[in-house]
Amino acid sequence: MNFTDILASKFEPETTGTTIMAVIYDGGLLIGADSRTSSGQFVADRCADKIDYIHDRIFCLRSGAAADTQIITKHVRYYVDAHAQELGRLPAVATAANLFRNFLYEYKDSMSASIIVAGWDPYKGPQIFTLPLGGSVIEQKWSIGGSGSTFIWGFCDSNYKENMTHQEARAFVSHAVAHAMFRDGSSGGIIRLLNVTKDKIEREFIDYKDVPFK
Amino acid sequence: MIFNSEFSGQQQHTTQPIVTGGSVIALAYKGGVVVGADTLCSYGSMADFKNVEKIAQVSKNTIYVSSGEFSDFQQVVRELAKIDRSALQYDDGVHPSPRDYGNYLARLSYKRRCKINPLYLQNVIAGFHNGERYLGLVDIYGTYLESNFVTTGFASYFCKAIISNYWNENCTLDQAKQVIRECFKVLFCRDCRAHDVIQLAYVDEQGTHIEQPERVETKWDFSGFKNRANEKLHTQ
Repeated sequence: MNFTDILASKFEPETTGTTIMAVIYDGGLLIGADSRTSSGQFVADRCADKIDYIHDRIFCLRSGAAADTQIITKHVRYYVDAHAQELGRLPAVATAANLFRNFLYEYKDSMSASIIVAGWDPYKGPQIFTLPLGGSVIEQKWSIGGSGSTFIWGFCDSNYKENMTHQEARAFVSHAVAHAMFRDGSSGGIIRLLNVTKDKIEREFIDYKDVPFK
Repeated sequence: MIFNSEFSGQQQHTTQPIVTGGSVIALAYKGGVVVGADTLCSYGSMADFKNVEKIAQVSKNTIYVSSGEFSDFQQVVRELAKIDRSALQYDDGVHPSPRDYGNYLARLSYKRRCKINPLYLQNVIAGFHNGERYLGLVDIYGTYLESNFVTTGFASYFCKAIISNYWNENCTLDQAKQVIRECFKVLFCRDCRAHDVIQLAYVDEQGTHIEQPERVETKWDFSGFKNRANEKLHTQ
């Protein structure tokens, strides 16, 4: 082991050890995330916002190395903005997903980024695209990601139903994220929710004391 | 893997901790010593065991708790409990003092360190004997020190400033407890392996008192937390 290897092994990148999820319900799409950004054992940001704006009805959820996901998101936001200007109408969620995919696939050896792209467009309604580490793109009705997701696969598999109402979806997401935060040391803090529909987007902040399960 | 008696020379070494306990903070106050620890044991990054009462009473006037590998902690509790019993052999009515426990643990830790098979712990022993407070810290290498305040783990980075500013060695029990609660609030916010349910225990002239676990209140509803930069990008 030479000096560079030793240095590299000591340097732990700031990651979004995290819990993120998105669910399509009857009428729209609900996104949820915790608020902890960790650097090894240290909580670098206890109130982070992991729900990033791409376009008016397109959002992305980031997990993996924070630096990698932030820069890719910046680039995609720029490209989607330019594209939407030329297009003159709302861009497709699939477009944003594809732009993310190009980055993640091209740089798969040097990036550690896993992203969920979720949004609504007038062509296909609410959509969720999961982009795991290698750069593949998979469309799903619901998606969970981040280190905390390992603890809630059972919960989500059992409790997900198609065509939930907004209330049911909100309960599903907030309970799932709460359960993940309960067990994952790299997730925690408050829960941020975002509701995306044709007509509006609404953010919600669930304070720590109101988290459903802790 | 089959255990063959011919290979009985094989010994396990604790080279990395598996189940770990969190930070411990202990402060002396006027009349005794108070110790606080959270009730979480982590399995790597997973918060596996969430209501573990860790603070152990090893004798009438000594309490012991440590951070690090939990199985080593449980083993040490057994070892320390043996000391009082074996002292009965001398039949002279002398019971080991808190300092005796601290010293024993320091020698034990150092011996294990020399065999490259450490007790993966940072230990805190607190007690009250003959009108004097005792607070000792023994680390993974067997380094032994006595002090009026000790911290282990992440608390050593975050909490010493709080302790310097809000505590003095002649404060009251309630003041010392409040300082410890404030320290654990910071730890819960900034340490991934911390939990907001803590347990306090104190030793004074009357003996040891180990309290029930309690939850510390942390504040998250700052307006700056609710409205972050990302939201300003929304054009709606």
